[in-house]
Amino acid sequence: MNPPKTATAETMVTGGTEELISGSEAIAHACRLADVDVITAYPIRPYDTVMQYVSQMISNGDFDCEFIVAESEHSQFEIVKHASAVGARVFVGSSGVGWFYAFEALAVTAGLRIPMVAMVGNRALDDPGAFGVEHNDALAVRDLGWMLVWVETAQEALDTALIAYRVAEDKRIFLPIAISCDGAFLTHSQAIVNVPDQATVDSFLPRYDRGDKLLHPDNPITIAPQANEDWVMEIRRQSDAAMRRTRDVITEAYEDFGDKFGREQEPFIERYMMEDAEIALVGMGTLALPVKVAVRKMRAQGQKVGFVRVRWFRPFPTEELQDVLSGVAAVGVIDRDYSFGSTFHSGVLANELRSALYPVENRPKIISFIAGLGGREVNTDNVIVIAGMVADAAAGGDMNDQDTYWIGVRE
Amino acid sequence: MSDVIEESLEDYIKTQVLEPWKGPKNVPEQEYFTSGHRTCQGCESAQIMKLMAKAAGPRTVILGSTGCMYVANTTYYSTPWVVPWMHTQLGSAGSAAVGTAAGLKVQMRKGKMAKEPINVIVFCGDGGGADMGLSAISAALQHTHYNLLILMYDNESYANTDIQVSGSSPWGANSTFSPPGKARRIMNRRWKKNMAGMMAAGHPDCKYVATVCTSAPMEAMNSVRKALSIGGPTFIHSLDPCPKGWDYDPMFSHEIGELAIETGIWPLYEIEEGKITMYGKSRRILRGQLKRKPVADYLMRQGRFAHFIDEDIEYFQGKIDEMWEKWLIPGVIPIAAPA
Amino acid sequence: MSTGSVEVVYRGIFQKTLAKNICRGVVFAAKKEGKIGTAFGRYSDSPERNGIPAKQFAVVSDTHDELQEHLARYEPDNNDVTIACDDTLCKGIESWAWYGLQPINKLLKKGGTLLVTSFQSPNKLINFIHRKGEPYNLALIRAQASFSGLWVYKDDHTDARLLGALAKVAPHIVGIDAICEVIEEQWKDDLKVISARKSFDATKSQPVSAEQGNEEVPFSFEKPGWKTMEEGLVIRGISAEKQVVAGRDGGYVPTRNATFKKYSTRTMRPVINFDTCTKCTLCWLNCPDTCFDITPDGLYDANMDACCGCGVCEAVCPVADCVTMVNEEAFDDNASQWEMWVKDKKGYETWMTEKISDQPARTHGFHHVGQYAEEATNESA
Repeated sequence: MNPPKTATAETMVTGGTEELISGSEAIAHACRLADVDVITAYPIRPYDTVMQYVSQMISNGDFDCEFIVAESEHSQFEIVKHASAVGARVFVGSSGVGWFYAFEALAVTAGLRIPMVAMVGNRALDDPGAFGVEHNDALAVRDLGWMLVWVETAQEALDTALIAYRVAEDKRIFLPIAISCDGAFLTHSQAIVNVPDQATVDSFLPRYDRGDKLLHPDNPITIAPQANEDWVMEIRRQSDAAMRRTRDVITEAYEDFGDKFGREQEPFIERYMMEDAEIALVGMGTLALPVKVAVRKMRAQGQKVGFVRVRWFRPFPTEELQDVLSGVAAVGVIDRDYSFGSTFHSGVLANELRSALYPVENRPKIISFIAGLGGREVNTDNVIVIAGMVADAAAGGDMNDQDTYWIGVRE
Repeated sequence: MSDVIEESLEDYIKTQVLEPWKGPKNVPEQEYFTSGHRTCQGCESAQIMKLMAKAAGPRTVILGSTGCMYVANTTYYSTPWVVPWMHTQLGSAGSAAVGTAAGLKVQMRKGKMAKEPINVIVFCGDGGGADMGLSAISAALQHTHYNLLILMYDNESYANTDIQVSGSSPWGANSTFSPPGKARRIMNRRWKKNMAGMMAAGHPDCKYVATVCTSAPMEAMNSVRKALSIGGPTFIHSLDPCPKGWDYDPMFSHEIGELAIETGIWPLYEIEEGKITMYGKSRRILRGQLKRKPVADYLMRQGRFAHFIDEDIEYFQGKIDEMWEKWLIPGVIPIAAPA
Repeated sequence: MSTGSVEVVYRGIFQKTLAKNICRGVVFAAKKEGKIGTAFGRYSDSPERNGIPAKQFAVVSDTHDELQEHLARYEPDNNDVTIACDDTLCKGIESWAWYGLQPINKLLKKGGTLLVTSFQSPNKLINFIHRKGEPYNLALIRAQASFSGLWVYKDDHTDARLLGALAKVAPHIVGIDAICEVIEEQWKDDLKVISARKSFDATKSQPVSAEQGNEEVPFSFEKPGWKTMEEGLVIRGISAEKQVVAGRDGGYVPTRNATFKKYSTRTMRPVINFDTCTKCTLCWLNCPDTCFDITPDGLYDANMDACCGCGVCEAVCPVADCVTMVNEEAFDDNASQWEMWVKDKKGYETWMTEKISDQPARTHGFHHVGQYAEEATNESA
């Protein structure tokens, strides 16, 4: 039904324009460049800024898509789920409890193998109602078949959105992707971004083709009948196999993206000053900014500290993290989330990392830190304190690696 | 660019022209919902599925929200659907229809899919429609630029989960959440929600709202055909006798539906571009040509009302009398005419 | 040290309360004898559908440890007794959650007893029941299948009679004294106790050899694995093309779902008088199961693989005696009536006349308030 579009880029030269835009606007540009067909909106801070940009582009005539303002997040996600089933490329997003209002739709989207791309403007969950960033909203779907990626900058947001369509819609995968953008720090702050030209994007991103899974009178199929215990394990195993295949597809996409756009990056993690690091800090999203500043300061004072930014949380970069962290003496994981009652009361990333490093010989000590909740700033001084505690653990000091430390909280 | 959009939009919003079928002998043989669903004997909800699919024809996409017509119709590896069908969540009937219609329309406009009018029908039960999905259905009925039909098959309970009361259950009916007991005989004290009237009155741009019953199959099919031809978002409320939940011998399915109409409990009407027409026996009742049967004739035929005592039947009769005698429009507007 | 299990196969909804009463009665009675037990329904049968075969089980053991071995199961096999609450279940059962037709004796252990409610002769039932390949016993209680609905239970003592018969055929599971004690406690009804004892006294079983029974291979199919199942929860729809049926040019036979046939739900089937049919279409139009094939001569032939026996066609037919619902026990196969009629109209008339007369009546649940009491009075009269 949808013949694959002929690649139009004759050249690998990146054109495009330089724009001063926020992370939200960068993603809106990615939607336009990806020629997204159906977008649904519902207001909630901070993600909804992306929809404000999208609606402006449409009313200006710069972008043609069905833009539907739904009456709830549940409908917002259900509408695009069904549009995707009939072959439309879709975009959607939410934040905090809005994402949770759509939770049923989030679960079925992954179960149905719908390659939806969503933006999560990370926000603390109610109650208390707070607009600032926490990662618990997006992390809630971590077991359901969603791919999850955290970005640091507006440029990375745009690039990752284009990569996300290519990965999600790959026939080997057909799983949804949520791109997490930290509320305020990324959604609402502007940076100079290279907005690529259409031809380069077209050469990188093929048209969405559902093939024989398309719901259309020419392809009369039944999708998602009710299943009993005779079938559910097989269906889950298929999703498991698809998620296992994502590693290769993501890697291919980043390689091709680097070739076509000239912006090379390691797909799953970013290694920052890790070459000779004796201790390492690990985190996701925009807290990378103060951490990188602090790392440079500490390096200037002779401390061999590095930083690992986890981009993809699902699939979890187990191999890369084993590789980069197996040589260090101690690791400090800074979670902008919580997992009350979990092992050592740690953050979600810390516990996941402990599990990943368990089989590694000479595994480092892992110290869990909770910081920056509800949008509280994580500053360089906080990071230097954290690094000091990790260095103490590395040196065999009093630090307890079976506990979790809250940083920047008033006693 | 916007001119281009508007022009191609015009092209797209043409609907299929589905003329009414005059008499059962003119109904085509072809089935689009066939044997081998797992519903109860005498399931009138399965019957409305069959009639709906037949009326819509082959160039149709059908979405079904959670309920009997999902669970019992389509069990994995096994389907009765000839036309493409997809499940949607319990409260998502409206969203599924909007998403499907939007997805088809935009691809046709952008040249990604061959242009043709494709019927989009979503069905939901009374639980999915009158309860959980109400807001999404209401939103869908505002999207006048999409052609979609929402058909609510009303078997007056959450019938797939073992019969629990819904907002569309009759007053006093037995259900697993409203069992009559020694201390309380009437557990469900809510009067049935008036869905079709609510949809018509609350959505002035919705061009077609109707009530149907499987006991009037030709009218039900022609109602579906009219809804799909008229275009925009449309709504049909179908009353489907349910031998399991209502507790009667399945062979009486057709008769129980007729009794619902003849007692005046289920008025048949259609509202087309703001104009209401009562049809069938309901029209004759309205015109005084047919005397309403006592509601007891209907109630006492069903085990779900077997615990009723005389005062319950009188209360029920009083409410039905009020609907026909005092409402601004019987079955539609439950407000007295302005003085 | 022993465990005994009873499988109760019944008609969904119509006999749900009956089956529950039997299984709970077994567990209560076993407790009287110092044993412990459990009663449960097959989860996948829920939500039950009217008429579709469903199952409940009662398992009793001397000790908790033994009982544990039988817990957390959907469908225990190797049962001591299988109770078929309706003799038409002997033709095989296709639950709405199973795939294919399961013989009624499939989960019965070698040497176990199949206990059936029936007015038919044992030999007639053995002809329906699939050959087991192992010897077992058949016992009958003489009664019409007891059907009622979800809300109003028809207390015609079938539960007490089946419990009494069970005590006779499987005294190692529960004895008659314990059964009677429980019936007295649960229902406070001396007449039900008498019914149980009378049934105990009257019940006899006869051996059925490994080779006896229906030779038909029940329809079934292989379930694919995760590597061969289509991804994305997709299955292919039913073909829009009509079926090509040998000897039928013209007419219309829709393609049907090949993996669920539904005929084992049927307890009555329509018998059509093709000579009086006016081709009004109403049976065809109103059938919720799309079971009427349109014949080349424009008649309507109820397809017996698809018909689940609801009786709506009889109810809507405007011609007196054109469609007559007949007890399913009267038929040995699912052959086309129309083909029989075309081949030999005289012979068909004879066959039809015989079928529609002289068959035990059946009722399928609630007709009106007070009906069960009237029926009980009539039956005891």
